[in-house]
Amino acid sequence: MKPLKLLALFIIPLGIIIAAVPADKTKHFRLTADELLQEAGAGVQFVSPDAVADMLVKKDPSLQLIDVRTPEEFDAYSLPGAINVPLSNLLSDQFTDILNQDAKMNVFYSNGSVTANQAWMITRQLGYQNNYVLQGGLNYWFGNILSPQAPAQTSSDEEFAKYDFRKSAAAALGGGSVVATEGSGPAVKAAKPPVTAKAKKKPSGGC
Amino acid sequence: MGPLAPNGIISENTNFLLAFFIGIAFGWVLESSGFSSSRKLAGIFYGYDTVVLKVFFTGAITVMLGLLFMSLFGWIDLDLVYVNPTYVTSAIVGGMIMGAGFIMGGFCPGTSFCGAAIGKIDGMVFIVGLFIGIYGFAFTYPWWEKLYMAKYLGEPKISKVLGMSDGLFALLLILVALGMFAVAEWAERKFPREEY
Amino acid sequence: MSNNSKTERSRRYLNPYLGGVLLGLVLLAANFISGRGLGASGAVKSVVATSIEAVNKNSVNTMPFMEEYAQAHGTSPMKSWLVFQMLGVLVGGFLSGAVAGRLKLKVEHSPKITSRRRLIFALLGGIFFGFGSQLGRGCTSGAALSGMGVLSLGGFITMMAIFGTAYALAYFFRKNWI
Repeated sequence: MKPLKLLALFIIPLGIIIAAVPADKTKHFRLTADELLQEAGAGVQFVSPDAVADMLVKKDPSLQLIDVRTPEEFDAYSLPGAINVPLSNLLSDQFTDILNQDAKMNVFYSNGSVTANQAWMITRQLGYQNNYVLQGGLNYWFGNILSPQAPAQTSSDEEFAKYDFRKSAAAALGGGSVVATEGSGPAVKAAKPPVTAKAKKKPSGGC
Repeated sequence: MGPLAPNGIISENTNFLLAFFIGIAFGWVLESSGFSSSRKLAGIFYGYDTVVLKVFFTGAITVMLGLLFMSLFGWIDLDLVYVNPTYVTSAIVGGMIMGAGFIMGGFCPGTSFCGAAIGKIDGMVFIVGLFIGIYGFAFTYPWWEKLYMAKYLGEPKISKVLGMSDGLFALLLILVALGMFAVAEWAERKFPREEY
Repeated sequence: MSNNSKTERSRRYLNPYLGGVLLGLVLLAANFISGRGLGASGAVKSVVATSIEAVNKNSVNTMPFMEEYAQAHGTSPMKSWLVFQMLGVLVGGFLSGAVAGRLKLKVEHSPKITSRRRLIFALLGGIFFGFGSQLGRGCTSGAALSGMGVLSLGGFITMMAIFGTAYALAYFFRKNWI
């Protein structure tokens, strides 16, 4: 068969297939600025402190708290089960496996939410899933979970329910009636699981 | 997964090493197809040898289809692949000057290296000309700067400009190219060539 | 030239469609590995920049066009993807020519013109092409071929301009070729 006819026979079907397939099947490994802006604006990354408290009380194994503050602040106080990934080391190789996974729900937290949000933006831009931000950070946590304010008498039932939940959570998590100041944590310090530096995975060889 | 270098999967040095091997493949294919001969290259403009048309468009179609299919399978992120920027004025004027250079010299930069590699002195002289031309441009740049930067449109894709999907454009290009190939084969039979 | 050697010689070249497919695959590999297409003129530009700097240390910085080279390639303009690629092209072209028995030091020209005329035009052509490639931000390999492959409008425009102009001028230079 003439080469031209052979070429045509082969290439026209390929062209038809590629024309027929809907265009945007491409999955982005990294987010574009637009997508990131949309997600950040919608606040999809936030996890409410109540939800986290609930998971902690129930000892939900799919929760992984990640403290993005400095090691000194982490040693002074940290949430139960949290591991320390300081923001400055966020992109270090040893943490990639922790941050880029789909087994657990990572919740970044810091004192406020600025640093935690920064960690989220960076990992989200890399295309990592399953990372969230603790809404309000530790400041809110101390003020409202560990030492919940009693609602006014005229508040809704919902408010009371929330208050009761928080009181019991606070008890379970070792909070006190003392409003904790930054840096000084309650008496019970959660045991920190050791962060094992994962061995660097060798890239699989190309065939 | 791909492209490998922009995703950090391979180091910069590995990237350069692979560039060398890619170059070897590039040079080999060009030379094997006859692009080391200025006579064959100029043939497209007179009808007696249409190798340029066939290789060029078949190559463009192949890579186009290849990228689109790889993107479809999720093997490559097309957003990270370099798309040439569009500066309308300089693209046209520069292209015209290059066209003149092509018909005069019978080479383009890539093929001149191929020609020079197999001993073609006209190829080597062409390369000397390249140096002079580039140096001349850099030296007189302030005169051309406005022209060079005019009408920047970003990095639009042809398909978007025509208002169709990438795949549809690829199919259209395939059909157009096949048509051109048929005409080219007719032309080669009609216009005689002397082998030297 | 007998008919035998004519067909023999053209058979030694690859079938152009096959060559095109192979070229496309090389281009695909470049895009997949390095996220960019092939090119050529950029490598020559690197050499020009390096030689300018070698001759007169500071003049590269005073040339606004070469400024990006002074900044981007802090170490040396020669350590660029294109330079490595073009070195490979030299090797690949040589190997292919060697295997096919096409290695020969000669000036290829139509028997109707002299060798000298051919070389003069080769030089002129190179000058034009060198100049035009900087203005057009690429040559046939970088802008036209690779640009088309990624559906770049700029690449497409450049390609049309190159081939259109060459066709338009072909009549005036026909004596050199046919």
